[in-house]
Amino acid sequence: MQIYLPIAEIPVNVIVILALGLAAGFLAGMFGIGGGFIATPLLMFIGIPSAIAVATSTNQIIASSASGLLAQLRKGNVDVKMGIFLVLGGFIGSTIGVSIFRILQSTGHTDITIALIYVIFIGSVAITMLKESVRTILEKKYDIIWEGKKGKYLSKVLRKINDLPWKVHFPKSDVTVSAIVPITISIGIGILVALMGIGGGFLMIPAMIYILRMPSQVIVGTSLFQILFIASNATFLQAITNNSVDIVLAFLMIVSSAVGAQLGTRSGTKIDADKLRFFLAILLLVVCSKMVMILFSEPSHLYVVEVLKK
Amino acid sequence: MKKLRFFTVSALFLLCLGTTQNALAYPIVSGISDNEINIDSSFDGQQILLFGAKRDAGDIVIAVRGPKKNFLVTKKEKLLGIWYNGERLKFKNTTSFYELFSTTYDHTNSHELKHLFSSLEIGKNELKFDISQKVSEAKSNEFYLRLVTDFENKNLYSPQTSKVDFLDETLFKVTLNFPKNISRGVYAVEIYLIDDGSLLSFQSIPIYVYQVGLGAKIVDFAYQQSFFYGLLAVAIALVFGWMVNFIFAKFFGK
Repeated sequence: MQIYLPIAEIPVNVIVILALGLAAGFLAGMFGIGGGFIATPLLMFIGIPSAIAVATSTNQIIASSASGLLAQLRKGNVDVKMGIFLVLGGFIGSTIGVSIFRILQSTGHTDITIALIYVIFIGSVAITMLKESVRTILEKKYDIIWEGKKGKYLSKVLRKINDLPWKVHFPKSDVTVSAIVPITISIGIGILVALMGIGGGFLMIPAMIYILRMPSQVIVGTSLFQILFIASNATFLQAITNNSVDIVLAFLMIVSSAVGAQLGTRSGTKIDADKLRFFLAILLLVVCSKMVMILFSEPSHLYVVEVLKK
Repeated sequence: MKKLRFFTVSALFLLCLGTTQNALAYPIVSGISDNEINIDSSFDGQQILLFGAKRDAGDIVIAVRGPKKNFLVTKKEKLLGIWYNGERLKFKNTTSFYELFSTTYDHTNSHELKHLFSSLEIGKNELKFDISQKVSEAKSNEFYLRLVTDFENKNLYSPQTSKVDFLDETLFKVTLNFPKNISRGVYAVEIYLIDDGSLLSFQSIPIYVYQVGLGAKIVDFAYQQSFFYGLLAVAIALVFGWMVNFIFAKFFGK
């Protein structure tokens, strides 16, 4: 069943899009990640222009984070005060990100920049994850204790953070930290959200654990809280500045990935967490190598003609 | 069915033409079978029949021009094995569709004819366009050639001048081919009667190409009301995200 995507300007098979959304949502639900990380490259692989893939993914992330946030709010697992600080930085970051996007669009370097950012991020995340999961799997199996050097470096950074001014107390998480810290972190993540079409949870969650030192029960809820606002801001700005949100594609992705996420969440709990991480790492490596192949593959036409809308 | 309509319309037209021919003072008279094209999701191109009569000696030249649009031509370049978008050239106010029919082929010899064709923009090499950047002529020619080749591959420019069919000495007909990838706007069918390097008569018939259906409405909404389009995109995501969560929680449990 073919359908014409009005903004992406290509015909696609509805079944393919629904299957893709279902798969991305399923993996997202199973691994507890936003899913943009997988959905955006998959959309590019089936021929959606990268600018549209990124902007439409941010649109879909709104739906998945709204869905998750509601459940977390009911349980009272959201630190709203911290969330507001993160949203503040996220707004600045995603606005910067969309502006960078605009510059890339006008100079024609969107495709290559997005592909390169993906290769770097997915590649490094996948390798780190692979290392960690193999290490813990081995640790558990053979009782090996690895000497950690990471702790020293982290505590050095944390000591420096403690010296920063404008300290604010967050009663829900019961932490006191300089306002500069959450805002700076979320500015950086906000830029990536706009540029990559991801929720950024894979960076935000470790930052909350190790840098902000938030208690574990509020982490996922607060992360979803800020993602919802940042993704909304990014989607809105992409629509008005770059006209890159395809509402038809977004709709198909929203419905299928939300269903996929629900199914994924249910099956995720049955599988061992370390093995799960190992499989995710392998999956990300596959996506990464496919992206590398795209960068190096020869274009079918040496000259490309496009109609300008404006 | 459509073919049949063409013939009835053209037969009626020729009948009228026959009875009133003496009363008409114009050297050429012509008409088309349809002056509206609606592009919907199932649009697969359309043919329009043009027919006419000429009363004076001379050659008939028919040009079909699409609306002027802006185009961007990008050259792919390679750095360390990675392909990226290299040089780009923007062509402004460029004819988006061009088809040419003529009764004569050797207009290259006559100097007057060349001059006339150039001023009337007859022939794909005579079409005018604007370039906003400052580039060398060699560069603009290189990129323009690619643009024209691309249009020819997409059947938007006719690579050669096609023939005008004559039914007898005065009556002629031409089939205009509009491929499925034409863009919307006002097209002009221009009929020239040219004799000895000078223009004797000229007639222009508009064809309106519309885009219909939901897709076209979405594009208009996205580009003209992008503020509300953005809000709608966010709202849809919120509502459906909540709805799926609600349905699953209700019917399948946590």
